Amino acid sequence: MPDVVRLWSDELARDPSSLVFLPLAETLRVRGQLEMARKVALRGIERHPTNADAHDQLARIHADAGAFQQALDEWTTVLRLVPSHVGAIKGMAFVRFQQGDRDEAERLLIAAQDLEVGDAGITAAITAVRRPGASTPASTAQVGQDPEPGTVFSDLLRDDQMAILLDTEGLVLAGTNTGNDGRDVAAAMGAALSGVSDEAHRTTKHLQIGGWRAIVFETESAIVSIAPAPADGRAAGGVLVLSAPPATALGMLRRLLDRCVERAGQWLAGTMS
Amino acid sequence: MSSPFTAILDAFSRQRGVQASLAVSARDGIAIESNLQIGQDGTRVAALAASLYAKARKAATAAGLGSTGFLQLEAEAGRLCMLGGDDVILVVVGDPQANVGLIRMELIRAAEALA
Repeated sequence: MPDVVRLWSDELARDPSSLVFLPLAETLRVRGQLEMARKVALRGIERHPTNADAHDQLARIHADAGAFQQALDEWTTVLRLVPSHVGAIKGMAFVRFQQGDRDEAERLLIAAQDLEVGDAGITAAITAVRRPGASTPASTAQVGQDPEPGTVFSDLLRDDQMAILLDTEGLVLAGTNTGNDGRDVAAAMGAALSGVSDEAHRTTKHLQIGGWRAIVFETESAIVSIAPAPADGRAAGGVLVLSAPPATALGMLRRLLDRCVERAGQWLAGTMS
Repeated sequence: MSSPFTAILDAFSRQRGVQASLAVSARDGIAIESNLQIGQDGTRVAALAASLYAKARKAATAAGLGSTGFLQLEAEAGRLCMLGGDDVILVVVGDPQANVGLIRMELIRAAEALA
């Protein structure tokens, strides 16, 4: 058993009324040990029936387990205890989104935004809910989450593939690009490609061949593909740049590019899965 | 009167789906010679293509990727393919039915012949 879980478990055994059940249940939930997390949270609620955070914790565990109605019941309890509990409102929005009720999810997120003005995570979640075809976040923890920009594409790419998300000025918003000599070349590449989306747009408009989908160019040591960045949010007008070894099949490169663009959209919307 | 580019551009124009082909100055984006359909503005296509290719070159240099070869701009209803050296960029405009693999091979062969 991991040390932190053992420490908190020992403390809880020594003092069953300790509030340490909250981080213990959360740690177990994050690790996917949902049944154990649920038992810890339930025992805590028995001791602390009016503790809103305890009910919020149990609701998150239910939501992760797919028990959406039980999650909603717990969050309803939370709001009875603390009507302005933003975590509960965001959690309910997550469940409604998962259930396909976008209108209710949006209404709840707007209510959460009213309580926490300026929360970028909530704003991004509202944008995601409004976007047609947006995929649902995989867990309550991902509503409004903002992961490290450098790691946004990491799990999609092999070691010899690199992706960066650039804004319209060519500034790097996410991802990394390292040259063969190990130096970070993302900013330099971004500066060189500043305005490329506008030029591609002007070109396709002049040729009357519809909107541009991708630019692919071959170099001595890589094949580079570029796609328009997600249209809403701070990357609007920017591009996603993917570099891969020259031998990479174009079809595979295109699929990877699409996946990176989708991931960029999720990251920008705060709904990364 | 024919130039070194005439036969190359004519060959592209015979390919399925190719709507235009141009030889463009890499330095200033001016069309050197072109095979265009009626109504097409070769001057603008040449300038836009050269600008795109220059950006790709700058990006490749910035990232230490070496020289730039074949480039394709893919759009909903067509594509722009090009390949260039220090002096000349060969540009081909194709519709969605154009065989990009064939165009790429022809561009590489033509660039080698011009080198």
